[in-house]
Amino acid sequence: MKILIAIGSKDFSTPTLRLGMKVAQAFHAKTTIIDVGEKISEFSSHLVELAHDQMESWDFDPPGVDVLEWAFNYLSDNKLIDAKQIEIGFPRSRLIDDGEDRKLVYLPGTVCENVNLILRNGDIVAELRDEVQVGKYDVTILGKSRKRNMSHDLLQYINSSIFVVNNYDDQKFDKILLPLNEASGMMKVAKYAIRVALALKIEIEILTVLENKSSNQIKSYNYNKVVKLIRRSGVQYAIEEKEGVVAEQIIKKADKNKIIVMKASSMSPIKRYFKGSIPLSVMNACDVPILIVK
Amino acid sequence: MLGFSNISLSNFLFWATQKKWFLYALGLGVLLLSLPTPHDLQIKAKISIIILIVSLILIIKEPIPLPAVAIFILIAQIYGGVDTVDGISKSFMSDAVFFIMGSLMLAVVIIKQGWDSRIALGILKFTGNKTAGIALGFLSISAVLSSFIGEHTVAAIMLPIGMTLIRFTSANPSKVKNLSAVILFSIAYGCLIGSVGTPSGGGRNVIMINYLNQAGISISYFEWMLRVYPFIFIQIPIVSWIIMKTFKPEHRILDSSVRKLVIKVARSRAITGRNTLTVLIFILILSGWVFFSEKFGLGTIALTGVFLYLLGGFVKWSDLNKHTHWGVIILFGATISLGTSISKTGGAMWLADQLVYFLGTFMETIPFFREFVIIVVTTSMSNVLSSSATVAVLGPINLNLVPEILNIGLLTAMSSAFSYFTAVAAPACTIVYSSGMIRAKDFIKIGFRVGVISILLLIAYVNIYWPLFT
Repeated sequence: MKILIAIGSKDFSTPTLRLGMKVAQAFHAKTTIIDVGEKISEFSSHLVELAHDQMESWDFDPPGVDVLEWAFNYLSDNKLIDAKQIEIGFPRSRLIDDGEDRKLVYLPGTVCENVNLILRNGDIVAELRDEVQVGKYDVTILGKSRKRNMSHDLLQYINSSIFVVNNYDDQKFDKILLPLNEASGMMKVAKYAIRVALALKIEIEILTVLENKSSNQIKSYNYNKVVKLIRRSGVQYAIEEKEGVVAEQIIKKADKNKIIVMKASSMSPIKRYFKGSIPLSVMNACDVPILIVK
Repeated sequence: MLGFSNISLSNFLFWATQKKWFLYALGLGVLLLSLPTPHDLQIKAKISIIILIVSLILIIKEPIPLPAVAIFILIAQIYGGVDTVDGISKSFMSDAVFFIMGSLMLAVVIIKQGWDSRIALGILKFTGNKTAGIALGFLSISAVLSSFIGEHTVAAIMLPIGMTLIRFTSANPSKVKNLSAVILFSIAYGCLIGSVGTPSGGGRNVIMINYLNQAGISISYFEWMLRVYPFIFIQIPIVSWIIMKTFKPEHRILDSSVRKLVIKVARSRAITGRNTLTVLIFILILSGWVFFSEKFGLGTIALTGVFLYLLGGFVKWSDLNKHTHWGVIILFGATISLGTSISKTGGAMWLADQLVYFLGTFMETIPFFREFVIIVVTTSMSNVLSSSATVAVLGPINLNLVPEILNIGLLTAMSSAFSYFTAVAAPACTIVYSSGMIRAKDFIKIGFRVGVISILLLIAYVNIYWPLFT
């Protein structure tokens, strides 16, 4: 399992990093923390690089390194990396340019397999997409952006599960809302939900939404298998059935204390691009963390 | 769908989203091409104007790499029948492109020489320890240096000096936000103000000289300075005052930080014989620009300097190659070639006629309206494009607006330096912004004030000072 945690600034990324590292811990995953800096106009990119070289000769780090250092300090304060590494401190000299427009440093992890810190510059969706493709990450964890189309672009173009950390607070969230249907792939979604529930020590609320309750289509073999898996995991759970439009019902049930874990849309990319999808509607409407499993 | 996998469909959609501005530009180009050609416009001129519009969108929005835009400009002109392959190739490589190439390479040599610490000492020697004096010192030194060696070089040299002074004042950047803005904007705006002072101050000046030469007008290095340099001295105190008033610094006196900076500089490596030699070579280049540029061209002399630095082993080719953005050089070559084509085909004249048709009455009746229009249009474009690209595309059009070609050429070059409003418009602003110590909205806040004042000052300057030359 490989997890990519995207952070943006020291001021707003603490919840993302905290929740991200908890999830990484739960999956015992190889973890990469990435900061994507602003795109520099191509007209000036070489000159800016030259100026940054000059800044380094006066003991100034290039922009973004301070964010990685802040992430390193978070990892050391919470003892998430190797004790020897904590003692050495932030390995500024080991932050190497790998020739692919990114700087990176490897850290031996304790609670997870390894932690990499990566610095890139450019359009956030393009850079994350590239990083996910190259690194073959399973989950990308990031904070919610104020940009209008960001949720759409993340779901549409990033080829991994997406965990958008929105208004996360350790104390506040005591439930996972798991919308369930009979589509294939629900087992994977349930497994993710169980891992997160175990990591955060919270319970799962299974929600099944039927367009027509009398059809009873949901009680299929797949559905029962998923419920059985959750029961056996030891996580406390409750089941609720609702009738109506799926997205609307999920949004209604997503209170401020629930983390949503749901399956990505299985529509074709073209249809999804023009029509949108249930996960996108939920993501846009809800102000809680949401994990969309692909 | 049609045998394509979901992944390939998703890849296609991502490509289309990333390249949407390319697709819009292309669509607009096709639409304009299909419209009937005005009776007074040649088809070649129409095509060159359409290529200009499409390229402007591509340069501003950067949906494709800049070298790809350059290639597009070149091949579109050939396929569109604007000129022959030989004609396009000839206009592609000019002294202006030599100069841009040489100036980008010289920047690498100069920045690596460690002159920064000496410059820092020089500034602090004559500014004292008051913030206002230091800001004025940073702005003046940046302006004077950039007038000779180019804004981007000076910004890269001055930035760490300014940042060190800020760090010595407070280790917590949030406690010295205004001081950071004062020092860093003094550097960036100083570089912009100075960059018009001499032909070697920026690529845009050489591009304009290129167009003036094509129009049969020659201007020497010294004559340019005589007409333009006084404007720098007018702007320096006024802009410094505006910066100080806009961002009231947290500290009025920086005595301890100045002391620390002096100590740091004193501890830096001593000047070696090789460093002195690099200065001497640069003085040689500068003398060449002043005395021989009319005969040999500024670009040739800049490249001679690069040759001498390489010959003496002052810089490695690998360093030059790494830090010189060849794509930008190719792009400038291509935009100059397009500018030349627009001029040759009569497109520039037609565009100028349209402007006169719509605004001619105002230009004749309202005093200074003509200068105002040229300055505002050039300034607006240079804030979203780049100053050199602005001059490359606007130059031929502006030169067709009025009979006083030299004045209009200088006015265009000068107003293209008013890239005060955005962090991305000029390399000096981008370099300073990349420090992370100032915000994009600071550029709007200060840029508007400095921009408006500079426009008014320039209108007054050209109407009071330049008539003395006739």
